[in-house]
Amino acid sequence: MQLGFLVDLHLCMGCKGCEIACKVENEVPLSTWRLRVKYVDVGTFPETKRTFTPLRCNHCENAPCERICPVSALHYIENGIVNIDRERCIGCAGCVMACPYGAIYIDPETQTADKCTYCAHRVASSMMPACVVACPVEANIFGDLDDPTSNISTYIQQHRDVQVRKPEKGTNPHHFYVGAGQVNLNPLASKREEGYSLFNKITKLPLGGQH
Amino acid sequence: MVHETIAATNAVVTLDVPIPDIFWGWYVTMNMWAKSIGTGLIFMLFLLLKKSPNEMNGLRTPTLILSFIMMNLFLLFTLADLHQPFRMWHIFFYPHWTSAITVGAWMATIFVGLESLMIAVMLLKKNTALFDKVLFWVTLLAIPVTLYTAGIMAEATARELWQMPTEAVQMILAATLSGSAAIILLAGNKLSDETKQFFGNILGLSALMAFIIYMSEYIFGAMKAEEVAAILHYVKGDGEYATMFWIGQWVAYILPMLLIALYRVSRSNSILNLAAILAIVGLWVVKHVWLVIPQLLPLS
Repeated sequence: MQLGFLVDLHLCMGCKGCEIACKVENEVPLSTWRLRVKYVDVGTFPETKRTFTPLRCNHCENAPCERICPVSALHYIENGIVNIDRERCIGCAGCVMACPYGAIYIDPETQTADKCTYCAHRVASSMMPACVVACPVEANIFGDLDDPTSNISTYIQQHRDVQVRKPEKGTNPHHFYVGAGQVNLNPLASKREEGYSLFNKITKLPLGGQH
Repeated sequence: MVHETIAATNAVVTLDVPIPDIFWGWYVTMNMWAKSIGTGLIFMLFLLLKKSPNEMNGLRTPTLILSFIMMNLFLLFTLADLHQPFRMWHIFFYPHWTSAITVGAWMATIFVGLESLMIAVMLLKKNTALFDKVLFWVTLLAIPVTLYTAGIMAEATARELWQMPTEAVQMILAATLSGSAAIILLAGNKLSDETKQFFGNILGLSALMAFIIYMSEYIFGAMKAEEVAAILHYVKGDGEYATMFWIGQWVAYILPMLLIALYRVSRSNSILNLAAILAIVGLWVVKHVWLVIPQLLPLS
């Protein structure tokens, strides 16, 4: 079994329902996110549009976070999920530095690394991840990539514009996007200008070390 | 390059909360800087043993103690940078051998253990023959100990700027630069003029080679990868890191090179000592800038 995720950006409307569901399900502390929806505005007024891109751990087949973790706190489980053992994590932030997708954070409450686990605890009980359940338009598609009849495999077969983030990194992500452009997937394809963000003063909880 | 499309798309991020700030900051800079001096002193002591064993007298113990102090400073900052420092023992009981952090922690621990043994051999037994034998093996171990941080940087795949071949060479050069500088300052007049010039040459050549590599990356790095171009922009603009970058290059490399050239003509110990001090101070700045700039780039 190889679990994977696909987000159809044609359907996503940026409601952040997935983000909130994830926060509630996994008790993600303030100022940190396992899943977040990025907004990028494209064009010049009045010809503008807003794009939405849910971003989460890509559960890579060749995961740099797993490789650099000195204590195997980050590890693969048999269904392909890259899971994390918070009791073992020493908080070296090596995984934070290694993940090309910026998907790992240091939990300010436990002082350990944390990230999306595709809701491994729910999956173990044959439930869908919380973000999948919460999505009002079924833009999140989750399933077994090894099963050609699964929803996700069928979706990949039927769509030609299936992409992953940063394929050049050789991480082989198990997280796909349909309907994505460069502005969705490539951080260098958009500007980050002060004053343009919808929230400009984000309070961050203090972390350990010198952070 | 996708960056060029911005002019057409006018794409602006209006909502995102990327992983914040700099995770590996000045604690890690201290880690690299102290380790360079600690291992570099061992390299220099070994070279001295091979070149001029008579001049080892009176230098074995102080050099080892200074190296030991720097290695413990390195370990202290490594520990302090952990968010769960009391779980450090997990590295020894749950080691994950694909991680350069694990391999490095083990090697550094063995290295410091051997250094303790050598200090004990000198202080308790005054056995210089045994000391010199162990020094060979400690010098061999010092090579991977000083290199492993390059391995960690290479495994930090999100940071395109850090590539193993160049970082490995830079780590060795940092050790030879700071090690030669430290032994020049530590030994003072205990060294002959010829040996001083020998260490001065190592300092000057290390500075020259490290400077050439940084300039190569500065000029040519951006031509190969868009991410590297974006990262190097932080040292090419007018920002604080551009200023720090050039301060580092001047203090660590350019000025010491010029001073070493001057020393070869004038034979002034003051000039040699000044070159050594500048190299040690400047190395911290150089390492810090190179550590921080890749972390400024948003990953999402």
